[in-house]
Amino acid sequence: MFTNCSLGHCHIIVAVVLWSICVDSRKIRGISLSYKRFYRERKSFLCIDGSKMIPFDQVNDDYCDCMDGSDEPGTAACPTGRFYCTNLGYRSHYIPSSRVNDGICDCCDASDEYRSQTPCQNTCRNLGQRERAEVEGQTRVLGERLRLKQLLIEEGVLTWREKQAQLRDLQRVSDDLQTQLDDLRKEEARRKEEADALREREIGARETADNSPTSHYRPESPISVFKELDSNRDGSITVDEVQAKLSPVQDEEHALSEDEAVALLGGAHRVDLSRFEETLWTSLRTGDSVTIKGRRGVPGSLADEDPNIKAAVSAAEKASADLKRVEDAYETVYMEIRDLREKLSIDYGSEREFLFLHDQCFQLKVYEYIYELCPFSQVTQKSASGEVVSLGKWGSWAGPPENPYCQMRYESGEPCWQGPTRNTMVMLICGTETALRSVKEPSKCQYVMELQTPVSCQPALRQRGVHSEL
Amino acid sequence: MAAFVVSPLKMGPLLVLWLAGCLSGTWAVDRGNFKTCDQSAFCKRQRALKPGQSPYRALLETLELTNTKLTLQLINDNNKVRLLLELYRLQGNMTRVKINELKPLKPRFEVPDVLINDPPTEPLSLLSRDENGVVLSLGADSQRLIVSAKPFRLDIMEGREVLLSLNSRGLLAFEHLRIRKDTQASQQFEIAKEDEKVEDGMWEETFKSHTDSKPNGPSSISLDFSLPGVENVYGIPEHADSLKLKATDGGDPYRLFNLDVFQYEVFNPMALYGAIPVMLSHSAQRTMGIFWLNAAETWVDISSNTGSSETPQTDVRWISESGIIDVFIMLGPTPTDVFSQYASLTGTQAFPPLSALAYHQCRWNYNDQEDVAAVDQGFDDHDIPYDFIWLDIEHTDGKRYFTWDPHKFPQPKDMLQGLLDKRRKMVTIVDPHIKVDSSYKIHNEIRSKGFYVKSKDGGDYEGWCWPGNSGYPDFTNPEMRAWWASMFAYDQYEGSMENMYTWNDMNEPSVFNGPEVTMHKDALHGNWENRDLHNLYGLYVQRATAEGLIERSGGVERPFVLARAFFAGSQRYGAVWTGDNAAEWEHLKISIPMCLSLGLVGVSFCGADVGGFFKSPSTELLVRWYQTGAYQPFFRAHAHLDTPRREPWLFGPENTALIREAVRQRYALLPYWYQLFYHAHHSGQPVMRPLWVEYPQDTATFSMDDQFLLGRDLLVHPVTEEGARGVTAYLPGKGEVWFDVHTFQKHNGAQNLYIPVTISSIPVFQRGGSIISRKARVRRSSSCMEHDPYTLFVALSPKRFAQGELYIDDGHTFNFDKQKQFIHRRFSFANNALSSRNLAPGSQFTTFSWVEKIVILGASKPSKATLKTPDGKESQLEFEFDASMSVLTLRKPGVNAGLDWTVVLQ
Repeated sequence: MFTNCSLGHCHIIVAVVLWSICVDSRKIRGISLSYKRFYRERKSFLCIDGSKMIPFDQVNDDYCDCMDGSDEPGTAACPTGRFYCTNLGYRSHYIPSSRVNDGICDCCDASDEYRSQTPCQNTCRNLGQRERAEVEGQTRVLGERLRLKQLLIEEGVLTWREKQAQLRDLQRVSDDLQTQLDDLRKEEARRKEEADALREREIGARETADNSPTSHYRPESPISVFKELDSNRDGSITVDEVQAKLSPVQDEEHALSEDEAVALLGGAHRVDLSRFEETLWTSLRTGDSVTIKGRRGVPGSLADEDPNIKAAVSAAEKASADLKRVEDAYETVYMEIRDLREKLSIDYGSEREFLFLHDQCFQLKVYEYIYELCPFSQVTQKSASGEVVSLGKWGSWAGPPENPYCQMRYESGEPCWQGPTRNTMVMLICGTETALRSVKEPSKCQYVMELQTPVSCQPALRQRGVHSEL
Repeated sequence: MAAFVVSPLKMGPLLVLWLAGCLSGTWAVDRGNFKTCDQSAFCKRQRALKPGQSPYRALLETLELTNTKLTLQLINDNNKVRLLLELYRLQGNMTRVKINELKPLKPRFEVPDVLINDPPTEPLSLLSRDENGVVLSLGADSQRLIVSAKPFRLDIMEGREVLLSLNSRGLLAFEHLRIRKDTQASQQFEIAKEDEKVEDGMWEETFKSHTDSKPNGPSSISLDFSLPGVENVYGIPEHADSLKLKATDGGDPYRLFNLDVFQYEVFNPMALYGAIPVMLSHSAQRTMGIFWLNAAETWVDISSNTGSSETPQTDVRWISESGIIDVFIMLGPTPTDVFSQYASLTGTQAFPPLSALAYHQCRWNYNDQEDVAAVDQGFDDHDIPYDFIWLDIEHTDGKRYFTWDPHKFPQPKDMLQGLLDKRRKMVTIVDPHIKVDSSYKIHNEIRSKGFYVKSKDGGDYEGWCWPGNSGYPDFTNPEMRAWWASMFAYDQYEGSMENMYTWNDMNEPSVFNGPEVTMHKDALHGNWENRDLHNLYGLYVQRATAEGLIERSGGVERPFVLARAFFAGSQRYGAVWTGDNAAEWEHLKISIPMCLSLGLVGVSFCGADVGGFFKSPSTELLVRWYQTGAYQPFFRAHAHLDTPRREPWLFGPENTALIREAVRQRYALLPYWYQLFYHAHHSGQPVMRPLWVEYPQDTATFSMDDQFLLGRDLLVHPVTEEGARGVTAYLPGKGEVWFDVHTFQKHNGAQNLYIPVTISSIPVFQRGGSIISRKARVRRSSSCMEHDPYTLFVALSPKRFAQGELYIDDGHTFNFDKQKQFIHRRFSFANNALSSRNLAPGSQFTTFSWVEKIVILGASKPSKATLKTPDGKESQLEFEFDASMSVLTLRKPGVNAGLDWTVVLQ
């Protein structure tokens, strides 16, 4: 039911009617001017599909002879036939033959009910006048609407440019940040290396000076402590090893429980060197919870000792903090670029005429509910009690191929009780102001909205085959 | 619509909670909500009795024989309680057996308003009598009724053959009314006997959270019937089961108790919305019927010895909770005889307005006037005919029936006028539960007049239904019914017009929070408990509504009322449908046996929701359902509120075309449908018939329920299998021929015919020897086709003979009946001449319709065709002959359909 949108223009039918036709077609009821040539009075009539030849007096004799229904244009006899309403003064059109003499007035010139008991009035003149007046009025209004549309398109162009510029700016910022990041990463690595190298050197010096493994002055690196704790030399520290070698600071007699050991290893049962540095090493360095059995003091606190090392470590930490800050900035810019690209990737119509709807929301109250449509984003329904239900998130344009921009689909809203998720189809219709016009729920949890906007107006509202006044 | 579930938004929180508990996410029926025989105290008690020695003895010395009946006392030797047996020979080959307590403590309920009159009797005569029993003559055909004294037993014989025996298995059990032993009152009486044990469930019974107070104690009745030579029994609707009833040994009996069963399952004996306690037995020799006139909860056990080497026999046992035994034994011997016999007791199918036989478009719900207008226009845009659009409960102002939602339907008369302008109609729903709301006129009037059903404590009975707290008008009260009927007057039902008709849903009645979703059995209708008359309530609702529609037109117009619950006699008041089915292939299939079963017991105007009510059908299922529904009597599409839209044009142009074609076939065939309904109304013959009805000796047809006949002349085998590439139809009748109505191809009878099918196929065959009238000019609605000409399809038998009928009247008034304003013609083809003659010389009606075309199937090529009219004029008709199919088409005879004429082929 949602597949057709009115484009505001219809087929244009030749509207010229001559009196002479009326005289001729008195016998041949129900045909249009263009078909008249098939019905020239002769001895016989050839069905238009060529299937059969019948005597001419069997044309419109209320019996269907031709498969294509062409012998009965003016009666209801043929199931596939059609009757032409000339509708002088209004629009001509065809009706199915089954509507001839069925007691319902279909042609405004009453020509379809020539043998029924229903009295039909010729209303074509009135209809024609009314429609012409309407068309005139609409043409005036349409001009205004198209002007508004143009403005909105221009606004859209500006917005588009703005957004593009914004994107370029962000891109530039992002590039700068990228460069900075490269430098800072190098700097951080260099500082870290320096600090590590100093420490290694110091350890080496102290090892030479003092060979005692229990020396409390012994400078220790994470690697050496790791090696010390890794009793079986398998390159990893296990819970067993932790339990064997470590004890709580306050109570050396007390053994660590398995859970405590696992916690010290950052939740793992086995850690390698790098995980060790992030987990147990940190705990040992702070020295307030556990310590290596039979040893007092905190391992690896070389920095306290040597001002050079201290300076190097602090420089490394600063480089790391600088890096983090720029990384965060880069991340933020990256997200902004992504959002903006996403917005710009939406199809806003052939002239980006729908761009102005972005970042706007429209509301309509229907009985106890307030409906809100935020184009290209989402549709919601708010109840009197304030409960907000999603009726769908932006999906896609959903009009027919020849006019995709007349319908929007919003999908995957809140699931329905015992049913699928809610979704909404938004029909775009021509109007002066941009506003929600109606909300309906034809089936449970399937909503249909009408959004009117000048942007959906088409310039082609022409005379739709209305006969000019005679 | 209906069944008791709706979105949480539409109900009070209390109910939602309760429903959530009930539903818990499954699609199938919740069997735990409904009683098994074991959970129904009287059924359990009765079923515990085993066949054997009956304690009942006929006291022959009490026998009295009058002109109209025989009376005789029976005594239960165990407790000495006496019963009174009354035997009647009824006109039309029926026997009535009535058994009541000789002196009940208080009167027991006897079902009123079901029989159309006191059935006329014929005298019985005593043939012989001795101490063992008596033999009575049943008039013609050497039929005798034998009353055996000890144990009591009745046998109906014809010649040396036993047709049917009562109490032959000794299962007659009549629980007499008694004083409760543990009360003070009982001490003053000395009637309590040693053998009367007080069992659980006699004086009180609890099911789930509901307690039934049973102030009258045990009161159930039971009787068994044996049918020697019978292997097939049918009827006792409503069950979602096969046409041929199954033996119930080892399972539950078939249950008759009007219930709103949420998401019912197919192929089981559970009770559904309606109950007609009529069973037909059939064998190649004879068809008979048993009509158990009791409106209380009833269970029917069937056992059969089929398959064993002895003579086949079917045993049936009826058990009811209260009332009396009142059985009509319809002795046939043909199916047609049984239909006439039953019709003479309970009346015939109401003759519907012609338009009601056309297509109905329904949905829960068409949301507002705009929606109605758009759907109406959709039919015209897609050139699909329809006659009725329906409005379900949401059209009302807060589920207050007889009102309109002021926002959605502010101008109902404008809407109805719009439909009237297109010669179409509307149905609005009016359910029998009334919102308890002191600002609601209908409620206030019913309350102030004291018309509500009362609870056991004497206050107005209240229960939950669509509007929330609701009262239930006592439709068993004639004053209530008269008042209800008056509410349909145009000045009472505001916004109604003459093209608006009525739908009574939920008339079991449905009580969401009641035991088994219905009314408490101890609720009171005047002096009677709901227990006594439960199954009758729905009939009264439909009756009062139908009477209202008749009254509003001053008695001129025929009503159309659809109801979900029904009882024996409901056929007199309108149409029924098979309730809240589901969009499943099984449900499409079961629609055939369900409607066939109803047709056998008088209710011809039956249909199933096309497309299925619950769930959403696949496109293929929807198309197949339209194709099947187009050939079933009541043709209405319907859908649950929670399902996506499914108007015929929403599934692409190809499927729209398929549905259009199915609906158009229906419309073209309306003259035949109308004639069949006239017959159903006139003589009680079903419209939709199992094959065995017309071919009673053809045993191959006895359990067939995937195909059916419409009248005698059309055989329909709808495609009800998913992805079907072919169906095998059985064409009955040795020596007969059948013509495919679409291709005119001729097939021999008495064969299984494989028919390759596509998605557009609807296999339908016309019987050779018949003449069927169609209207080929299908229009927007049936009214638009009123004056259109007819095409006669003459299907010749192998002996080049054919016969048919045509019935015409104004299509909507009682003038056909009151003023004999109708045309009834007989068409006969014999000796190469087709003639039309008057079947009803006393009638008078003028039609504009004429005969446009005559198509003769199985014909040979004539040299000329001459039309002769009574004024002596003769004219030559043009014709075409298709030699490949032997089809002769006579062009435009042009004679008025009400006149005599003859066409002679030379």
